[in-house]
Amino acid sequence: MLDLFYLATLNTLRNTRRSLITILSIAVGCTALISFGAFINFSFEGLRETTIRTQLGHMQIYAKGYWEKRIVDPGSAKIENLSTLQKALENIPEISSVTQRLTFSGIGGIGNATVNMSVIGVDPERDEEFVDFEIVEEGRNLLIGDSDVGVIGRELAHGLGAKIGDWVTVMTTSVDGIINAVDFQIVGIVRTGSTEYDSVFVKIPIQLAQSALETDGVDRVIVLLEKTETLPIVRPKIEAALANMPEQYEFKQWDELAGFYEAVYSLYTGFFRIFAVIVSIVVMFSVANTMSMAVFERLGEIGALRAIGAPRRTMVWMFLYEGIFIGLLGSGSGVALAYGLSTLVDTFGGIPMPPPPSMSEGYQAYFPITFEVLASAVALAMTASLISSIYPSWVASRANIIEALQKK
Amino acid sequence: MGNISIRELSYAYQTDGNTLPILRAASLELPSGAFATVSGPSGSGKSTLLNLIGALDRPQHGNIKVGVVELGELSDWQLAGFRSRMIGFVFQSFHLLPVLSATENVAWPLYFQGIKRSKRMEIAREKLELVGLKGHLNKVPGKLSGGQRQRVAIARALATEPSVVLADEPTANLDRKTAEEIVVLMRSLNENAGVTFLMATHDPMVVAHALQRIELVDGKLIEQKQIQRQEVLAHA
Ligand SMILES: Nc1ncnc2c1ncn2[C@@H]1O[C@H](COP(=O)(O)OP(=O)(O)OP(=O)(O)O)[C@@H](O)[C@H]1O
Ligand SMILES: [Mg+2]
Repeated sequence: MLDLFYLATLNTLRNTRRSLITILSIAVGCTALISFGAFINFSFEGLRETTIRTQLGHMQIYAKGYWEKRIVDPGSAKIENLSTLQKALENIPEISSVTQRLTFSGIGGIGNATVNMSVIGVDPERDEEFVDFEIVEEGRNLLIGDSDVGVIGRELAHGLGAKIGDWVTVMTTSVDGIINAVDFQIVGIVRTGSTEYDSVFVKIPIQLAQSALETDGVDRVIVLLEKTETLPIVRPKIEAALANMPEQYEFKQWDELAGFYEAVYSLYTGFFRIFAVIVSIVVMFSVANTMSMAVFERLGEIGALRAIGAPRRTMVWMFLYEGIFIGLLGSGSGVALAYGLSTLVDTFGGIPMPPPPSMSEGYQAYFPITFEVLASAVALAMTASLISSIYPSWVASRANIIEALQKK
Repeated sequence: MGNISIRELSYAYQTDGNTLPILRAASLELPSGAFATVSGPSGSGKSTLLNLIGALDRPQHGNIKVGVVELGELSDWQLAGFRSRMIGFVFQSFHLLPVLSATENVAWPLYFQGIKRSKRMEIAREKLELVGLKGHLNKVPGKLSGGQRQRVAIARALATEPSVVLADEPTANLDRKTAEEIVVLMRSLNENAGVTFLMATHDPMVVAHALQRIELVDGKLIEQKQIQRQEVLAHA
């Protein structure tokens, strides 16, 4: 077997120019695939972290039944026994912060201008980690001890023509169904990264939100992890903690809440698949062509090898190994090229990208190569090379020995 | 071991609906250790005959027996095994693998017998020494002269210690002097190892060295009178 592979290797290197072209085409395909995959991963990791750390957290915990009733009757399922729940969650080491929210939507404005607002009441003390991802454009964020102040999204401020120091009135219905209103003074104008969110975003101290809804409860507890990757380990721990509580809870993981993220993600994954198909077709054509030419040129040798006792099987393997060898060299150089490209992009400080759909910020793209992307590109190139060598190898094994020998 | 027995062998090529009969109920008996030539005009079917004996093709009628092996009864797989064990081929245009050294070329047929590499290389070196190429073991065919290449091919044919060596126009691509050296080499190998040699040729010099001289005429094999080894030696 080793001998056959050795022979195949020498035969591949024999027609240097042709082999090089084939190897190069595989390499370029591989590099493109790896870089594209790395770019997509990088971009989605950014989008994912923004989504999680500005809006959703990793997990949201509600009182049982909240999710079903959240639109019609949000007041009926509130978390009442907050501190016990918080303590239980804080015992899980991977969790970096636990915070509570009371959210409501309302209509609000300054003077005559009124718009929809998505109001979240937060505990500034517990919300520090979320704040990291909000960029304060003007003024400041909420601070511990704030009472009747709030920060609003940039687009919302723009729409209202609001400035720092203006008073905003928000109207909503309390948990008992009574129309109620609260006032707050704008202390900051912020950006969350999502323009959509920025146009409805209002953040006020949770006590103010509770007084607007006339409740003591909160509607959700948000859990933020140190690292998103630990989510699969933490999830069962949270489930266990919740099961031990006297009250009943339900929860959602961030990706169940991030419909937009999921949609964009599957769109890009689709692009990647199409791209992978194109690359495999190119590889297959190029390898099939090279292998067929090799078989045709070497019919004389095929005849001689068969005459001196080579069974058909040996001919199949001899040419399959050539295909495999070409695939190996091609994907190997592809990997090397991809690393080169990734390093180059690093050195130049990334490639500037425009803001993703509905985001307000552009970003610097890098190509951090992950094992998964690497392995799938190599596997694809190898499989394509192997598959396209099968037919030429079969032809070689079926060649009529006498006619093959008559070829020069 | 290396006796060849041909009975009523017929073979015809089919081209564009025409049948081109080449062998017509030809018969032949060659003893083990023969040093024989088949001669005849170009297109008379010499190569066809050798290909049939070497199991590169199957007879259409009649049968061929090499040693105790009846070729007609073998499967494709068994034919490959038969070629590997019983037959050595020498071709007019050498047909060496250009990427391999002389030693590796000679070692290849042993691969199909599952012999391990170091042993193969050892045998190959031995055979190359036997054909006078001791100083050229690691050269690729491209670095060897025509005569040297044919010596490598002969060493390769002998590597598996076959019973029969079939040589199709082994001297046609060589100059006169080299051609004669090759024939003398083959005859000495025939004498020393007792391997049957059957050569297709229209070179009178080759025929002159042969002990059995067979003519292929109108699809029949006609053996000239058996020549004694001494006569040939005296002649040469
Ligand atoms: N594969 C084939 N298909 C059809 N006809 C063939 C084939 N091979 C050989 N022939 C024909 O069969 C006849 C015998 O061919 P063969 O090669 O056996 O002759 P030969 O005696 O070896 O000739 P030469 O001295 O030129 O080598 C020739 O007329 C040739 O054209
Ligand atoms: Mg011929």
